[in-house]
Amino acid sequence: MSDPHLEVENLSMRFKVKTKILHGSADQGKFKTVLNSVSFAIKEGETFGIVGETGSGKTTLAKTLVGIYKPKNCTIKLQGKEINFKKREDVLSLRRSIGIVFQDPVGSLNPRLRVFDIIAEGLPDLQKMKKGEKETKIREAAKLVELPESKLESYPPEISGGEKQRVSLARTLAGGKKILVLDEPTSSLDVSIQAQILNLLIKLKRELSISYIFITHDLNVIKFMCDRVAVLYYGQLLEEGSTIELFERPRHPYTYDLIHANVTLSSTNLYTTDHESGEPSTEGCVYKNSCPKRFEPCERNPPVIVRNGVRVKCWLYETQENLNGVISEIKKELGDGS
Amino acid sequence: MEDNPLQNELISDLLEVQNLSVNFETIDRTVEVLRSVSIRIEKGDAVGIVGESGSGKSTLAQAIIGVLDIPPARIIDGVIRFNGENILQRKTKSPNFRGKGINMIFQEPLTSLNPVYSVHDQLEEAIRIDDPTVDAKKREEIIKRNLREVMIRDVEGVLSVYPHQLSGGMRQRVSIAMVLIQRPQLLILDEPTTGLDLIVQRKILKLILNLKEEISSSILLITHDLAIAASVCKRIYVMYAGRVVESGSMRVVLSSPSHPYTIMLKNSVPEGYMDEGPLNVTSGSPPDLRALPSGCAFHPRCPKAMAVCREKVPELKKVEDEREVACWLYE
Ligand SMILES: Nc1ncnc2c1ncn2[C@@H]1O[C@H](COP(=O)(O)OP(=O)(O)OP(=O)(O)O)[C@@H](O)[C@H]1O
Ligand SMILES: Nc1ncnc2c1ncn2[C@@H]1O[C@H](COP(=O)(O)OP(=O)(O)OP(=O)(O)O)[C@@H](O)[C@H]1O
Ligand code: SF4
Ligand code: SF4
Ligand SMILES: [Mg+2]
Ligand SMILES: [Mg+2]
Repeated sequence: MSDPHLEVENLSMRFKVKTKILHGSADQGKFKTVLNSVSFAIKEGETFGIVGETGSGKTTLAKTLVGIYKPKNCTIKLQGKEINFKKREDVLSLRRSIGIVFQDPVGSLNPRLRVFDIIAEGLPDLQKMKKGEKETKIREAAKLVELPESKLESYPPEISGGEKQRVSLARTLAGGKKILVLDEPTSSLDVSIQAQILNLLIKLKRELSISYIFITHDLNVIKFMCDRVAVLYYGQLLEEGSTIELFERPRHPYTYDLIHANVTLSSTNLYTTDHESGEPSTEGCVYKNSCPKRFEPCERNPPVIVRNGVRVKCWLYETQENLNGVISEIKKELGDGS
Repeated sequence: MEDNPLQNELISDLLEVQNLSVNFETIDRTVEVLRSVSIRIEKGDAVGIVGESGSGKSTLAQAIIGVLDIPPARIIDGVIRFNGENILQRKTKSPNFRGKGINMIFQEPLTSLNPVYSVHDQLEEAIRIDDPTVDAKKREEIIKRNLREVMIRDVEGVLSVYPHQLSGGMRQRVSIAMVLIQRPQLLILDEPTTGLDLIVQRKILKLILNLKEEISSSILLITHDLAIAASVCKRIYVMYAGRVVESGSMRVVLSSPSHPYTIMLKNSVPEGYMDEGPLNVTSGSPPDLRALPSGCAFHPRCPKAMAVCREKVPELKKVEDEREVACWLYE
């Protein structure tokens, strides 16, 4: 098998917390872990989905993948070649290969540039390019995203939200990017416009054999768009597998709750879990305060367990032997403490 | 069903909006935001309004509770009856809250909360208005119980702060807790759960539905999410560019939508896995109200558009029991 397109191993990110949010417990000078040992790999031509609620770290992950943040102690390999974030060249190669489309179409386009010039920003080696060549490339990109030629002369405030996302896409495609990180690309759009953009993304993928990392909180969209899906919860990937596996047989208790809470047009029952929804835990399993299946080992952070192609970070899937080991360790520790 | 006059009297309308037309008028332009909108809500009903951004949903809700900014808004025509009494404010804004038994959870949760009072003081005030005989100790109990109901864990922490110090999701929960205390006859929810985690969202919707049963109040849910509307509402109004284009029972409208826009809305929602092919939608986007297309506002996007559609606005017509459609196809 060929090398995976992109491989991410043990990606962690933390931010310094500057101000106290709310009141009470002083967070000053402390760090907040936003991504915690995230690992995944993407194959060529695949759409890999990352689903997570607000604050789970989706945008931070997206920004890291395009070289905006520089993670420490993690391995990111592009076509098998490891990226050294200390080397400018390496970061540039990451930026050249991976494009990004953000959720907010207003904020991501310079309102004072013509659409034509915004798409031009995406072209590599802009200076070296002949004028005619540049123009051809821009018109090609606009055509790919089905943006009417007339709009090339417009400015961002004059075009609709859906058109803005088309411009963002054209900008990354003009640069010949092979991997696109789509961070909630349709979340700010009306449903009928979202549908148009989803159709466009499917068409582009087929024509250009590019890969997508599709990030969203919308389960219906992720189910429709992706080959594989990973579930992000407060910075941790709790489960990863093929889309069908994940939706039909969710393994992790969080995935289970999430998928059952989702309503669709054909299943409109408001399912609600009877158990409490607690805050994420900073010790042991991150979902333990909400998990109805919680048992003794959950005081320890579970490892990622691989079973039949599904990766799941939950003690329920650990072998009895290993569990016994963990339980006796915990008991011993408790015993020592008393 | 047989026509039973007695029954007709029993199922009286709690809210009735008739032919409501609203403009937003500034010196240089007039925008027609609502045109001849009629909706009704019976006691104990759960009614949904769906439509895309700018279709006039929030404006309608604001007119009902009397918080439209007049001017720039101007009421062109219409009546809004609540328990038979006309409550439409034509001149100034004066909220129909509480006293009248209507309350609303706003799209922007800061709107429902008073910025100068702490969360505790607002909730306490709400209880006092609801029932002045409740003593201080009991009030504290009610406050805490309601905050816990909306899944706020750090109750003490939230009580002492001011609304702007809370995150969007927390604010939304506090305003929902407020409504739980006020127990209105009609509760209007304008995109009530945007920004909340899915699991919390669904729990809160369930909570609101339980409250509705408990005190037999009615719900008007405004959303762009057809699936959410379907999970909460028995009847639905579909709005496009300031008009109701289809209405009927939720079940029937969903299973066999009549208006081409409703059909497109339904087709827009991804349902299955990727191999089920592209979503069946046409190009184009919702119109700019400042430059509405002639005739049926949907005609530039409508796969079934005919010559007449460009010329005349189709009126809302009853096509079958309980179902109305505004489209020349059903003429
Ligand atoms: N530069 C930063 N400094 C400090 N904290 C940050 C920074 N960027 C993000 N965070 C925090 O990290 C967490 C994750 O943020 P992120 O934007 O990645 O989440 P998200 O999953 O994209 O959420 P959303 O769905 O709301 O877009 C949040 O709690 C956020 O407040
Ligand atoms: N104060 C105002 N002055 C001028 N125009 C306004 C004002 N408030 C709303 N509008 C316009 O009225 C139209 C309807 O707005 P409204 O907020 O009712 O739509 P909506 O259906 O609630 O949309 P959304 O789904 O985005 O919340 C929009 O075109 C909006 O720009
Ligand atoms: S590790 Fe334990 S607490 Fe965490 S999800 Fe699995 S069973 Fe629940
Ligand atoms: S009136 Fe005409 S344009 Fe409008 S929805 Fe019906 S068929 Fe389409
Ligand atoms: Mg984000
Ligand atoms: Mg609105």
